[in-house]
Amino acid sequence: MNFRNTCRACSSLFRIRMAEGLQYRVSAISGTVVGVFWALLECVLFTVFYTYSENGSWNNNGLSLPQTISYVWLAQGLFVLQSMSIDSEIMGKINNGDVGIELCRPMNLYTHWFVKSSAGKLGTSWIRSLATVLAGLLMPVGYALGGPASLTALFCFILSVVMAFVLCSAFAMLVTAIRLNITWGDGPTYMLLLVSGILSGTYLPLRLWPDFMQTFLYLQPFGGFADIPVQLYIGSMAPTAALPGIGLQLIWSLLFIAAGRLIMKRKLNSIIVQGG
Amino acid sequence: MIAEGKIYFKYLRMHLLSGMEYKGWWLMLIQVLIVVVSDPIATVLLFSRFGNIGEWTVAHIILVYSLAVASFGLAESLCRGFDYFPWHLLRSGDFDRLLLRPRSLFVQVAASRFHLHRLVRPVTGICAAGWALGELGIPLTPGRLGILAMALAGGCLMYCGVFVLTSGLAFFTIKGLDWIYLLTNASYQITRCPEPYMPRALKSVFSFVLPMLFISFYPAATVCGWKYPQWLGFLSLPAGAVFLGLSLLVWRIGVRHYKSTGS
Repeated sequence: MNFRNTCRACSSLFRIRMAEGLQYRVSAISGTVVGVFWALLECVLFTVFYTYSENGSWNNNGLSLPQTISYVWLAQGLFVLQSMSIDSEIMGKINNGDVGIELCRPMNLYTHWFVKSSAGKLGTSWIRSLATVLAGLLMPVGYALGGPASLTALFCFILSVVMAFVLCSAFAMLVTAIRLNITWGDGPTYMLLLVSGILSGTYLPLRLWPDFMQTFLYLQPFGGFADIPVQLYIGSMAPTAALPGIGLQLIWSLLFIAAGRLIMKRKLNSIIVQGG
Repeated sequence: MIAEGKIYFKYLRMHLLSGMEYKGWWLMLIQVLIVVVSDPIATVLLFSRFGNIGEWTVAHIILVYSLAVASFGLAESLCRGFDYFPWHLLRSGDFDRLLLRPRSLFVQVAASRFHLHRLVRPVTGICAAGWALGELGIPLTPGRLGILAMALAGGCLMYCGVFVLTSGLAFFTIKGLDWIYLLTNASYQITRCPEPYMPRALKSVFSFVLPMLFISFYPAATVCGWKYPQWLGFLSLPAGAVFLGLSLLVWRIGVRHYKSTGS
């Protein structure tokens, strides 16, 4: 199968999954409700901490309250890119043995699933993201998402978000490749997804973590899921730092893709198809 | 009643054994432990960054929070089936099979799933509450223990109610239940905010719509003698029971309304 046919197959797979996702509009709405609620809760919490705590006014962490609140909203918007579990359709195939059928297709399994899972991720989530961010913009003063630090910052943010999508997809595929080994169950994969979620900054802005961890937090791959784009937007990371940041995302994406492909190839050599 | 109880535990045993067939089943224990430990980590880090809020220290927050988490975990362990119900029984049409069996529907659904690793959450929650009480210098008397046990039981009932409510509503919506997340995993996050600083709207939602504060904050306040009416701490059990009762009503209506889906 040549390159052009692969591209065509990928684009139709992508379209099918997108359309499928769009059918569940109620799901997107309820997702937005959760996101907005969650963000408001975080805003309340941060406001309490910044206003009433002992060291609240003494700002030694490089993030002001409005910046933190913007961070919360954007992180909620980007949160949908991260997978909390493996794409349910692929998971079903792994569990019931349909992997065998998938292997009969004249297309690389990794590419096939990569497109499928990333499209599934994007299917409804972009509406949810936009709605969450919009809700953030419309909130009353004090809880509202502020504007970007500058026009350059906005541009860097968008570029970095695109990269974050690739990075998240690549990571999800790496996890899927690991899950192919069915006899181990869900334990290892959930742990990987969990750790990635915590280190992505959606739990707590990475800047508010202890100071001695900052270098590690910057270099680890998961900051690229949300932290780097958001920091570019709110201006706690200068536009000059955008290039290294996006470069970091790119390097990790390539590493994840390479590792995912390798693991999948090795697993497929010795796969035992489960079920029938 | 006894027969139903027997079936319930038989189911649990079956799920336990089948879960242990996976080589990495013990990894799930670690996984939940990481979830449980990492959940409040944001709060702890915030306290280390910002210092105390008035008289509120980490121990105060952890006490209230752990009560909520432990009762959530208990309900999750005992009523797991309801949590999965909309996805695994309803949409696939497997629910039809349960309807054919001459046994209590509630027991069958509740026990349709059981994961040993879910028990990690209540266990760590209770340990954390113990640590917080030690940190606050509150000796455990039988009376206080009673209040805490009642808080846990009430919380467990309330969260069972949440799961049952989800399932009941799932009869009408089939998909698009993400918002239920607000009532489960998101709901106990509210206890991370010190109660006196909580906005009034949040406070009333989480005491009258979902009696969150009654099962976590008020018992803690009564046990530790914070400046709140003592009797509020005893309301956890009735509050949880009322919530469960209302949910069961919704579930009843749902079952009657049920038309098969799937194949």
